[in-house]
Amino acid sequence: MTFSLLHATDFADRLLYKIIPPLKAGMIVLADRYAFTAFARDATRGVERQWLRELYSFAVRPDLSLYFKVPIEVSVDRLMARRVKLKFYEAGMDLGWSTNPVESFRLFQGKVLDEYDRLVDEFGLQVIDASGSITEQQRLVRTVVAPVVNARATEADMVAVGDEA
Amino acid sequence: MTTGTEGEALNGANGGSLAGRYYGRGIPYLPIAGYPGKLIAIEGTDGVGRTTQIQLLREWLEVKGYGVVETGWTRSPLMQPTIELAKSSNTLNKLTFVLLYATDFADRLEKEIIPALKAGFVVLSDRYIFTALARAGVRGIDRSWLRSLYGFAIAPHLVFYLNVDVKTLIGRVLASRGMDFWESGMDLKHGDDIYDSFRTYQNRLLREYASMGDEFHFRTVDARRNVDRIQDELRRQVAEFLEGIEPAPQRSEP
Repeated sequence: MTFSLLHATDFADRLLYKIIPPLKAGMIVLADRYAFTAFARDATRGVERQWLRELYSFAVRPDLSLYFKVPIEVSVDRLMARRVKLKFYEAGMDLGWSTNPVESFRLFQGKVLDEYDRLVDEFGLQVIDASGSITEQQRLVRTVVAPVVNARATEADMVAVGDEA
Repeated sequence: MTTGTEGEALNGANGGSLAGRYYGRGIPYLPIAGYPGKLIAIEGTDGVGRTTQIQLLREWLEVKGYGVVETGWTRSPLMQPTIELAKSSNTLNKLTFVLLYATDFADRLEKEIIPALKAGFVVLSDRYIFTALARAGVRGIDRSWLRSLYGFAIAPHLVFYLNVDVKTLIGRVLASRGMDFWESGMDLKHGDDIYDSFRTYQNRLLREYASMGDEFHFRTVDARRNVDRIQDELRRQVAEFLEGIEPAPQRSEP
């Protein structure tokens, strides 16, 4: 619960200083993780799902949310290949499900992925198959992002036109 | 004389059926039903004398043989330095302010209050969520959002609200430590004058507290009286409540 609120505080701070001002200025904001991360991660730790949604109701709803989805084994293999030392909380070691960091990561992140699957429908997350190559993924991302950005560009133009009139 | 007990004479569960349970959605991984401890909150605005009353209450309860744990606003070891730092800089927004307080409270709830209730202690809380609700309410934060946020809080068995008027409060604060930036609501920019700002802000806070009285079953205690009179009233009501459940434990059997 404390963990969840600490992240929410950090998120609120970034929202107010880093996200809302550029949005007001008509800029495109790319957020590497958003409230959905908290929904998935905190629910896995046993925090009430509806409470989390109400807590984050101050967040701006993104114009587009991309969810890069990989099977848990791919995720573990990628991290192991880079010989990344798993972080304590990232591996869900605080939950005490396993004393082995890799096993704990597999169990914890596996449940986190289940939570993400619930979010896809609820929030209309656009799923990107992240087991493919970077180039493939990026091509896909561009086709998804382009219409959203173009629509906004038109709106921005319209605002500019409106200002002149 | 103001007492909050009329009409609530049948106590034992002052917070209504909620006393000792979560207000809202709660913490699913921490079931608290049936914990033997009792949670008593002492509320009231800045400088009303809460801390003094709690000290006296604690000594008295301990002499009677109860195990007592105290908890106080922003006293979480995890969050206190952060809150102080944020208050001293100018980066604190209303929303982050509210969430920092909530984080501090969550930490104390999980690490202090719930374990103490489980172990059968009487927990004396110097301020409770009502301070957060009042401060945030005055700052224009949505009230239903706030109530949902604090849905993980436990409804106390007793909530004493030390009620005072602004005039008395001003006298007391000036006679002791003086007016402080946050307690004067200077962040609300009512003007540069700290005295005027204090009066306006505390007036609004008091109204906010008063508006919560029924909703949260406050026992209002007239805090304009001297320390001993207030303490007597608190002891009488606490004794009535605790002994109604079980007679005071004996430290040493003869």
